Amino acid sequence: MNNRRRSSWRWLLPLAPLLAGAGLSLLLYSLADRNPTVYLSGQLSAVAFALGVFLALLLAVGLAIGDWAARRAETAVSQAAAQDRRRFLRRLDHELKNPLTAILAGLANVSAAEDDDARATAVHSVTTQVQRLRQLVADLRKLADLETRELEYAPVNLAALLEDVFALAQAQPEADQRTLVVSIPRAPWPLPTISGDRDLLFLAVYNVLDNALKFTQTGDTIELRAAEDDSRVLIEVGDTGPGIDPADLEHVWDELYRGEGARGFPGSGLGLALARAIVLRHGGQTAVRSRPGQGTLVSLRLPVRR
Amino acid sequence: MTRSASSLPLPHILLVDDETAITENLAPLLARAGFRVTTAGDGRAALQLAQNQHPDLIVMDVLMPQLDGRAALRRLRQSGDWTPIILLTQVGEAVERAMALEEGADDYLNKPFDPHELVARIRAVLRRARPGQPPLAAAWKLACGPLTVDRRARRAYLDEAELTLTPKALALLEYLITHPDELVSRDRLLDAVWGWDYPAGTRAVDTRIAELRRALGDDPVEPQYIETVPGQGYRFVGQVEAGR
Repeated sequence: MNNRRRSSWRWLLPLAPLLAGAGLSLLLYSLADRNPTVYLSGQLSAVAFALGVFLALLLAVGLAIGDWAARRAETAVSQAAAQDRRRFLRRLDHELKNPLTAILAGLANVSAAEDDDARATAVHSVTTQVQRLRQLVADLRKLADLETRELEYAPVNLAALLEDVFALAQAQPEADQRTLVVSIPRAPWPLPTISGDRDLLFLAVYNVLDNALKFTQTGDTIELRAAEDDSRVLIEVGDTGPGIDPADLEHVWDELYRGEGARGFPGSGLGLALARAIVLRHGGQTAVRSRPGQGTLVSLRLPVRR
Repeated sequence: MTRSASSLPLPHILLVDDETAITENLAPLLARAGFRVTTAGDGRAALQLAQNQHPDLIVMDVLMPQLDGRAALRRLRQSGDWTPIILLTQVGEAVERAMALEEGADDYLNKPFDPHELVARIRAVLRRARPGQPPLAAAWKLACGPLTVDRRARRAYLDEAELTLTPKALALLEYLITHPDELVSRDRLLDAVWGWDYPAGTRAVDTRIAELRRALGDDPVEPQYIETVPGQGYRFVGQVEAGR
């Protein structure tokens, strides 16, 4: 936004010589005796040459300015990319540190265990952390794969897919203490069949729903619903959870991002990033709205025809 | 050492990885599982050991210094050596699968893996191995009764009639038919065919197996091709031959 404002102001610059010329002209005109007529004469060949020099200079200056602007834009992009990369590495470092610390402590407990029970507990905790690292690596690979992976497009019955996702979410232990509601339109017509990779779409919707399960508490309500207009299907997951801080809201789709309120929750921190990547690869869009204290609404829009 | 080797009935495994952390931890585990283990740190050393010691099976990583696993495997096969090989990498994409077929490895295992899974794979490959002959995994055409799978053309036929299968179902059939008589878990099928784990992955496998059975006209109660092993996975039960 900042950039756009600067570039529109720049167009006022050509006005400066214009205004200066007009001012000088007015001044000379007012002093009638100081306003002599000036004749310029020269050979046509010289005029042609001078004109050529003038145009060449104009072109050179134009090109130089264009180059400079492009370089600036490039630097800005690469700086943003470098910053993204640094941020990602910092988060990755953080995500690796905790399980590794737990593993080190667990191994110390294994070697110091005095009875079988203590040893089994320690081994179990190490195994859990190893699984966590394994899931992180698997999700990172998925994210990297999504860029290049060839999608297996086939007709997908969205209503059936959403029912399946809902059934799987309901089978999660957290689901027992929350009210889960699913609403899929049947009248006047059912949701359209869309063209897509069913397994990936399943993963995308499930990740959003799983996220809602993770961040809500006992007694909260989670709704999975869908709607369509002729060109798009809208899939929404709404929850009455704690909501997301406005400062964190634009980052929820970032890889490994954890907002203040999301520290200490399980998961690789890649679920929503994966969901977004999948929806984008299907030509769709994602959005999130949230009110702290009221809840969060995540929406996925998918084109009906590709 | 040669003498003791010949007197021991233990299968000899050559374990190749440049990560000593991997070889140091896997070697004793494989030894406990009843194998004699030799280790090597790169492809070149592996080729030398393979020529001098004739192991029963080679477990090899892909990314290694000197000579990587793929190149070592190619050289071995070019010299007519069909020692069974398990490559420690993933083969997911169609392109990679075709490449893997050219390479002639017997099986693939993706890191990170459960070490017990490696032991199970080693046993399965050893059981399947036909001394001195290319493995089924490297055959371009496979046949089982009236069923033929043309892996180059990515087509399957039943009594000469082409089967209409989704790419996933075909890949699934290809995996099962190249691992005959082997109990394959749903997780393993997900890893080998889908390349990913999915939240409802095991159900995705069941859906494709059902599709495959419909196309093959295979009765799950008395299967001719794919048997369900309750609570464990699937097994290809037909007699498989490499065609040409």
